[in-house]
Formats: sequence, C-alpha cells, structure tokens
Amino acid sequence: MRYLFIIVVMSLLMMLPAQAMADIAVIVHPSSEISELTRRQVVDIYMGRTVVISNGKTLVPYDKPENSIIRANFYHRLVGKSVASVNAYWARLLFTGRASPPRLVSDRVMMLETIENKPNSIGYVKFEDLNSNVKMVFRIKVNE
Amino acid sequence: MRLLILFITTWLLIFSNVHEVNAFNLGSDRFRLSGFGTVGVTSAGKKQFGYHKERNQNAQFGGFSAFNDSVIGLQLDADLISNLTATVQVVVEERVKYDFNNIVDWAFLRYQITPKLVARAGRMNADLFMLSEYRNVGFAYLWAHPVVEFYTPISLNHYDGLDFKYIRPVASGYLEFKVYGGQTNSDIKVSGGDLNLRTRPFYGANASFRTDLWRFRLIYAATEIYSIHGQITGLLDTLNQVPQSAWPQAAELSNKLDGEDKRVSYYSAGLAYDNNFWLVQSEIALISSGWESVNMRNGYVSVGRRFGPVTLYSIAASARTIGKPTQVVAPLVSTPTLSRLETVTRNVFNAPHINQNAISLGMRWDLNPRVAVKAQWDHTWVKKHGGGLLILKEPLEKDITLNTFSLNLNFIF
Repeated sequence: MRYLFIIVVMSLLMMLPAQAMADIAVIVHPSSEISELTRRQVVDIYMGRTVVISNGKTLVPYDKPENSIIRANFYHRLVGKSVASVNAYWARLLFTGRASPPRLVSDRVMMLETIENKPNSIGYVKFEDLNSNVKMVFRIKVNE
Repeated sequence: MRLLILFITTWLLIFSNVHEVNAFNLGSDRFRLSGFGTVGVTSAGKKQFGYHKERNQNAQFGGFSAFNDSVIGLQLDADLISNLTATVQVVVEERVKYDFNNIVDWAFLRYQITPKLVARAGRMNADLFMLSEYRNVGFAYLWAHPVVEFYTPISLNHYDGLDFKYIRPVASGYLEFKVYGGQTNSDIKVSGGDLNLRTRPFYGANASFRTDLWRFRLIYAATEIYSIHGQITGLLDTLNQVPQSAWPQAAELSNKLDGEDKRVSYYSAGLAYDNNFWLVQSEIALISSGWESVNMRNGYVSVGRRFGPVTLYSIAASARTIGKPTQVVAPLVSTPTLSRLETVTRNVFNAPHINQNAISLGMRWDLNPRVAVKAQWDHTWVKKHGGGLLILKEPLEKDITLNTFSLNLNFIF
C-alpha cells in the first residue's frame, strides 16, 4: 500500500511542468510577411485549428521532443494542458485525417536551423536562445 | 487471425515506447507513418446473451476475452503537392468478416482549397458522433470503450464519397460546417445472423462550434437501404410464398421486415466541456425510418474529473426503440411448418427491439505521453424484449442485468 501511494504521488509530480523556466519566443523565418502573432493565432497553429499562410505557403509548425521541458512549458502556458493531453488531442486530429501534428526537431540547434532554412516554418525556443537569423513573432512570458 | 492481432498489437505497444508520437518521417518530410492500438481484456455477456461493442464484431458470451477491445491501426500520410495530401488508414480488430473492404478503414485525398475550405474524396469516416472519427483510437478519448447504448446501434466506420468542410472564426471560437455524400457497405452481426448491408445514397450535414472549453455539434444524416444480404433474405422469401388464404398477414409482415429501398434519417446533438479538470460530454440522437427495426432514440451523459495523470469518470446511458414490435397474428391454417414460421417471424420482429439503460464507472491513467491504461465497469439493465444490442441465442423473455468489465492499454506512436 505504501509503495502504491509513493507511485501515485511520483506520477502526479511527473505531470507537473518544471517551474524554473525562461520566457519562450515563437519564431519564424526572417523573410516571413508575418511580423506578429496573437496568442490565439499561436494556439490555433499549434493545435491544428486553422491554416495560416506565410510567403504564399501554409505555415508549418515544428515541435520539440515530448520529453523536453520547454515543450511541457510551451503547451502548459498556451493551453493549460499536459503533454499527454495534447497528444490525446492530436491523436484525434491525426487519426481523423484533419491535420498532422507539428513536426519534430531534436534540439534547440535543429529548431533554429530549421526555422532559418525553411521560409514557411514556425517554431519556438527559449527567449535567451534567440538570434538574428530568425524573427520572434510572439513571446510567452513565464510570469503571465 | 485473432492471435495475430494480439501479437502485433503487443509488439507495437512495446515499439511505441521507443518512438515519438509525431510519426516516422520515412526519410522525407512528405511521408509520415503513425499508428495506434489497444490491448485489452473484457469480461462480458452471459451464456445465452452475447455482448459486442460494435455490430461488426462477433459477440462474447461470458468469460474473459482479449479480442473485444483489442485493435491496431496504421496510417500513412503523404504530401503529394502543395495543399494536396493523401491518407490511408488500415485497422485490424475483431470483425465479423476479414476482407479488404473491412480492413482498409480510410483512403482519401485531402485538398485545402482555401485556408477556410477543405475537400476530401475517397473512403472516409462517417461523421455521425462526437467520437465517430476516432472511435478506434482508444488513446484519443476518455472511456475504456465507446458508450454501447449510443455507439453500437450504428457501427458504421466509413463511407465512400466526398465531403467539404468550411471553418471560420466567430467570437471566441470556431464555427464549422460540413456536408458529405456517398455510399456505405457494412458487414454486421445481429441475432438473426450475419448481414451485409449496403446503403446509397448516404449524405448529411454537420454544424459545430467550439471554443477552448466547449464543443457543440448538430448532425443530420440520411440514407436509403440499397441491399441486405443474410439469413433474413430466406425468411422474406418464405413469407412471400405463403398463400394469402393460409396466412393473410404474411405478405405484410415480409414487407415490414424488408429494409430494402427504405429511407433512414438520423438526427443528433452533442455537447462537450473540458476545463482540464472537469470533463463533461453528452449526446442524444433520434433514428427515424419506415423500417421499424431501426427506429430509436438514445443518449448518454459522461462526467469526469482529472487528478494529474488520473481521470475518474462516470457515464449514464439509455437506448430505446420507438414504438412496439408489429403484432404477429396467427395463420388461419394450423400446420407444424406454419407454426414454426410464425414463431420465427415473431422472434425476428422482437429481436431488434432495444430497451436498455446502463451506468458506468471508470478510470483512465496516462502512464506516459503515449500510453494510457483504462478500466471500466458497466452495469446494464436490459428489459424484456429489449435486447436488440445483444446477440440472443434465445428470445429475451424477462428483464436481465449484465456486468461488463474492461481493462485495456491504449497507445499511439
């Protein structure tokens, strides 16, 4: 019984996103005609609700691996959901042919390279990792 | 075949734990392979009363089974050209019939005409319920299995045709309209045996509005029964051959039992609320037809509460045929053959009638972002002559109760 209690508590703790986290910058290619996005637009793009056109093509979102802290914080701040809940949501869209989930990049370097090289891409990095080769269109503040 | 499903499902479950959910790129951004599955054990049914959660499945007559809930699915998405994608989904699960028609669940082309308008053509989901598009994907919804009273009467996974969907932002949410048309071909099991049911045209329209917290849906669909093949065809032929002088009602009974060329209309409303702590969902529906076997109304309410990775939930559901079975009047001539025919005919009129209520308690536990375990207990009250959702080995001449226990692991990869 004691072990069961410990397992339940540990599982609950694992679901909480890490609190010590920097602001998150949502980024696009510097040539994109998009200069700014609203929170709702970012939610809509990352939750597959709407299609946004940039440089004449559909904007393609990129995501971090599901075990990354920034991904947990990104979705927690945006829609208040855990990564498992977001996955269940995306399973509904993916396996109904409505939309494909954001594509994966392995780490921060790959995320920046992808956004730099693909004019119709959108991604996110820690605010402190921003560089001049990408353009920030929305900032998720930790203390919002 | 059943063992193969179980083996592959278990293998994929293990496989899913070493791969990300976001599909395999297959060496190119243009192709993506993804999948889902459920491995489960169900205790359901009784010796004379079989349980199945879909009409296209064989029934379980008591004991434990690993096949009622188990399912595997693979989906390949390909970006063909700008704004044009192709999707093929193959689903293997317990079925009345294993053939190409039943295994290829979806195969369609999707074209984004404008940012707000999308068209699809091919084999697609029949979008009749809140879960209808993903009822095979256990990981995508809360319960251990779809609500039997609401989802079993129409076990229609797909149709072949065309649909258009229009979506636009309104106030704090999105308004969505969808129209579709095509035809269906289903292999199902009822108490009278296996049936192949074809309907055409099959068409309908949906309207929905969703915000971050709420989802509302209104659904209308209609179809015409094109053909029915099964044991019932023999009964209809026999009734038609009975001389009117021997049984004046025989031709009328045959006409009432025969569904071909009869129209079926479906109306439904759904509501869902999810604030990340409380989850509430409810649907009601009405099926209206000149074919008395399918006239019914049903509905359910589900309430859940999340506690971190664990969600506890409860469901109350009801399904009831509208109207009473046609009264079969005895033949004027008494012979053993006619007497047997009268009994069989009366049973065939009674068997599709549904009158059952259920309550369910369950739990979903998200073990990790790709795997969830679910457990559910259903307690079902079935009224006398109301066992239309069961497979009956004998007429249901009294009220009965059934207990169904489901335990399953659900995963995506």
